Amino acid sequence: MELNVNSVARTVQSPPLTSLLTVLREELDITSPKAGCESGGCGACTVLVDGQPRRSCLTAVCTLDGADVVTVEGLGTPEDLSRVQQAFIHHYAAQCGFCSDGMVVAATAYVNGGGTDDTDAIGEALAGHFCRCTGYVKILEAVAAAARGDECDVGSTASSANNTYVSIAGGES
Amino acid sequence: MALHRGNGLATIEYPTGMNQNGDPSQAWIKVKPDGRVDVFSGTSDIGNGSKTVQSQIVAETIGVPYDWITYDNSNTDSSPMCTGTFASRATFVAGNAVLKAARQVRERILAIAARELEIDPADLEVADGAVSVKGTPAKSMGVDEVAGAATFVHGELLTGDGAHLNPGAAIVDPESGEVDKPPHAAISYAACAATVEVDDETGDVRVLELTQVYDIGRAMNPTLVEGQIEGGAVMGLGFGVLETCYPYYPSVEHRGDGMNTYHVPTMSGLPEINNVLMENPSSGGPYGAKGIGEMANNGQPAAIANAIYDAVGVWISEFPITPERVLAALDAKREGGGEPRREGRVVAFDEELSISAATSAKSWGP
Repeated sequence: MELNVNSVARTVQSPPLTSLLTVLREELDITSPKAGCESGGCGACTVLVDGQPRRSCLTAVCTLDGADVVTVEGLGTPEDLSRVQQAFIHHYAAQCGFCSDGMVVAATAYVNGGGTDDTDAIGEALAGHFCRCTGYVKILEAVAAAARGDECDVGSTASSANNTYVSIAGGES
Repeated sequence: MALHRGNGLATIEYPTGMNQNGDPSQAWIKVKPDGRVDVFSGTSDIGNGSKTVQSQIVAETIGVPYDWITYDNSNTDSSPMCTGTFASRATFVAGNAVLKAARQVRERILAIAARELEIDPADLEVADGAVSVKGTPAKSMGVDEVAGAATFVHGELLTGDGAHLNPGAAIVDPESGEVDKPPHAAISYAACAATVEVDDETGDVRVLELTQVYDIGRAMNPTLVEGQIEGGAVMGLGFGVLETCYPYYPSVEHRGDGMNTYHVPTMSGLPEINNVLMENPSSGGPYGAKGIGEMANNGQPAAIANAIYDAVGVWISEFPITPERVLAALDAKREGGGEPRREGRVVAFDEELSISAATSAKSWGP
């Protein structure tokens, strides 16, 4: 069967009930979708199938003959990053990075679908994506920035809006 | 049914690193003939940013641009010994090791430059990748030229090594209570205030706001510090109201058998999180740094429990504070359970209990 993966036509040899996640990672060597829970709970394996976010771990590859599949590798290149990728970098919306690929893909679908910068709406759209490191604060700010269409400088990082710094002059402890 | 709002406060003091066996970290640095700097340190970067922060320390201390630094991340074969990435120790302990190694490298750069420029090393300074004469910035040479001269003219290798060792566990005098050495390298302090809303019919607890103040020593990299504190806030929220850690943790099975049995906070319905980062430089840390990693998820559960008492007048003495536990406490109060019970169950980690619980228990009840 044929898949169009990141705008490249690929022929898939794996058995028909193989998950799309396994096909991408093991057969096509595209490792950005992560095998987190492998039961649809964590969101780390999310890819775009015909523009819609899908759990690749729960998707049998035989259901996708001829489909367009986009992973984070297909969203942009290091020289030409997508708006969402630029926002994730500028707002430092990652720590260990395990959830990031699925987050960026899902955020792309949210923004492309006309999503706004409303925190509750973003939270509702991305609630199926677990992150153990960031506390989601910077991810929410990145997605909001991308939804607004902010210019995001990838050469600098922004502080979170609700954080303030206080200096104790000459303090030693 | 009614919703009750309450506020609670918790304070924390937290040590940096450990005392056992001195908690050592070692680092080694070499400079290539083009002036670029290779750092070998055993501290794994697990997403906490220790690779970035240690590279910053080396760049700042030697006086070269950050992008001249290559950090060999925890290659067991080539890196010197490091106890590891835990106990809030990477920036403080391993940071001190790379700081000392970088100072040695700087001295050796100055010594070679002094020979090249025929001037006393004490009259030289290094900044932005160049060695120059103090007060006469026009007379200078690049660190890359110094490294080239070391390699091809003087037959030397520019290296530095550094190690950090804590004084070890303190011995306490049983009579006076005095200790023979400081208990910890650097103590950090923090406070967390929580605002909650408790539903007295369902027992549901919503954390509406977390406001936190952290004494961070110095923010070596503000973005990374914020990430640790924001991440810790939501981990603490999970420990407070969702996640059953004991007796499973630190057994590897503590995660449960799937994402549907171990609940962590998601992006939906998060509290408003406000942080104040207080820079209060430590005397022993590199550039005044302290550890921030672990303390960032300690205050929230206690603050949430205190806020629940403020809201509905019951003490919940076990985490996580599930709706079932809140309802049981409210029932006990209605039945005239007397004075609110404040003491919790005292638990100490028991490996046998932990493993047997994790391997046999299938229920994840309250």
